Amino acid sequence: MRVRALAVIAIGARHASFACFIATAHASAASGQDATRQTTVGGCPTEPVAFHKCAEDRAKTFNPPRTPDGRPDMQGYWRPRLTNGFSVEGVTGADPEARNPVQAATVGPGMIVDPPDRRIPYQPWAAALGRKGLHVKTYLDPHGRCALHGPPRNVEVSPIYQLIQPPGGNYVVWLLEEVHEYRIIPTNARRHIGRDIKLWGGDAVGRWEGNTLVVDVTNMNGYNWLDDAGNFFTDTVHMVERWTMIDPDVIQYQVTIEDPRVYTRPWTMSWALVREKEPGFELLEEACWEGERDMEWFLNLGLKHYYGESWRGR
Amino acid sequence: MRTGFARWITVAVVSLAPIPAAAQVTALPRAPDGKPDLQGIWQVFNTAAWDLQDHHARLGVPPGQGVVEGNEIPYQAWAATKKQENFDKRLTADPEVKGYLPGVPRIMYMPFPFQIFQTPRHVTMAFEYAHGVRIIYTNGSPHPAGPLSFWLGDSRGRWEGDTLVVDVVHFTDQTWFDRAGNFHGDLLHLIERYTLIGPDHMSYEVTIEDPMVFTRPWKMSMLLYRRKEPNLRLLEFEPAFLVEEDQRQREQGNK
Repeated sequence: MRVRALAVIAIGARHASFACFIATAHASAASGQDATRQTTVGGCPTEPVAFHKCAEDRAKTFNPPRTPDGRPDMQGYWRPRLTNGFSVEGVTGADPEARNPVQAATVGPGMIVDPPDRRIPYQPWAAALGRKGLHVKTYLDPHGRCALHGPPRNVEVSPIYQLIQPPGGNYVVWLLEEVHEYRIIPTNARRHIGRDIKLWGGDAVGRWEGNTLVVDVTNMNGYNWLDDAGNFFTDTVHMVERWTMIDPDVIQYQVTIEDPRVYTRPWTMSWALVREKEPGFELLEEACWEGERDMEWFLNLGLKHYYGESWRGR
Repeated sequence: MRTGFARWITVAVVSLAPIPAAAQVTALPRAPDGKPDLQGIWQVFNTAAWDLQDHHARLGVPPGQGVVEGNEIPYQAWAATKKQENFDKRLTADPEVKGYLPGVPRIMYMPFPFQIFQTPRHVTMAFEYAHGVRIIYTNGSPHPAGPLSFWLGDSRGRWEGDTLVVDVVHFTDQTWFDRAGNFHGDLLHLIERYTLIGPDHMSYEVTIEDPMVFTRPWKMSMLLYRRKEPNLRLLEFEPAFLVEEDQRQREQGNK
């Protein structure tokens, strides 16, 4: 595994855009294979709704390891599981993307556990844009130009993350290998930053609710997508993420997303993060933009950069 | 009167006496493992990002006293010529204008804040500029075997008393030191020294070696200042997306 990553990075210095796509392809392929091979994750079934219910039960009884300041100790390296990076609504064998000879989308369920129909509760105008609609026909996937993914996509797509809880207990820090994105989650902040500051990664305010890290996210610029299919939100989005250990080596991640401009109701996704236990493992630098060579090609195809559905940047 | 004056003298002498070393040491913030606690949001307050050396004001450039020891950068003859070419073409040739990661030490003195997170295993730096990240391992692990090219190098640190000493190698030859065309090659080797000199000030010194470019090692030194504004966060400066064409598209919104 590490040998491959090193190879990608070695390529990365000169052809990092390729490295980006290679890494992504590997990640989705790996998680897809593992999802079919494994029957359980953290003692829970791998079907997303069943996993979600089971994980919530296990969270009630599991007593996680603790940091010196008494919080659940989630430090270490983690890989996402039970995700479908192509579409949060899932991919069926009938989807043409599942038979794409270049990079076939992984057939499997999406991560939506609420509403019960497991579809994004789009308002009618918005459904036509996301869900393999106008967005993917019109715009270059922001991920394809090495942009920050922002939550929740940054929890979904990076093949590997590192979580740090430095002494003092005031921060939880996520480092992503992909695009060297990072998330700094203060757990002592009393308020969000001013509403006119818009960010790719939004502003996070965290708190501990028992054994769960709850993160309130606002201030998104709305330039990010939820997945390869162009599913989206706008700059008025509000997310609440919940990270809970259900096993020494499994975190359940769930996120509730509301955006009154786009959806008819809040909706929730759930998946797993599984610990990488390789001894001596370290994150490497995945420079992406520095080696980008494909942008002109994409733009020559007529694709445009995506700058959100509502916010007019200043 | 006379007695009062004598007392004043005594007080003055006592207060001018050097503070015992032990008192200074205990005044520094400490991590649970006893090392100086470098955590917080830091930023330089100098003009090294524009020009490492002494310089007067130019268009868009604040004047500044340099950060290079002795003010001379010991370029080999060909490299001195190359530096001058870089300077002449700096508005287009500087890798900064392409929105790339700026390399080390340049990212340390960009005029943007960065945040340090410290555990016994590593000291991690997250930069507002280009969302750069440096993970400085302090667990005794060696540099990985090369050849490897990282835009921010590979950093391995150790504590020498209260100073964090960091050895950095595995660079590219694609980054510069500043906006004045000072540059290096991919054999760049840095030894950085981070020393808290008070709760809110940190000395940053870096020794620079590159046998292909310089005739001898040389050194720069500067101060890092703790940012203390309430509710302060690192925001985002994504240089790759702040070019003119992108700004125009952003202002138009999606049509």
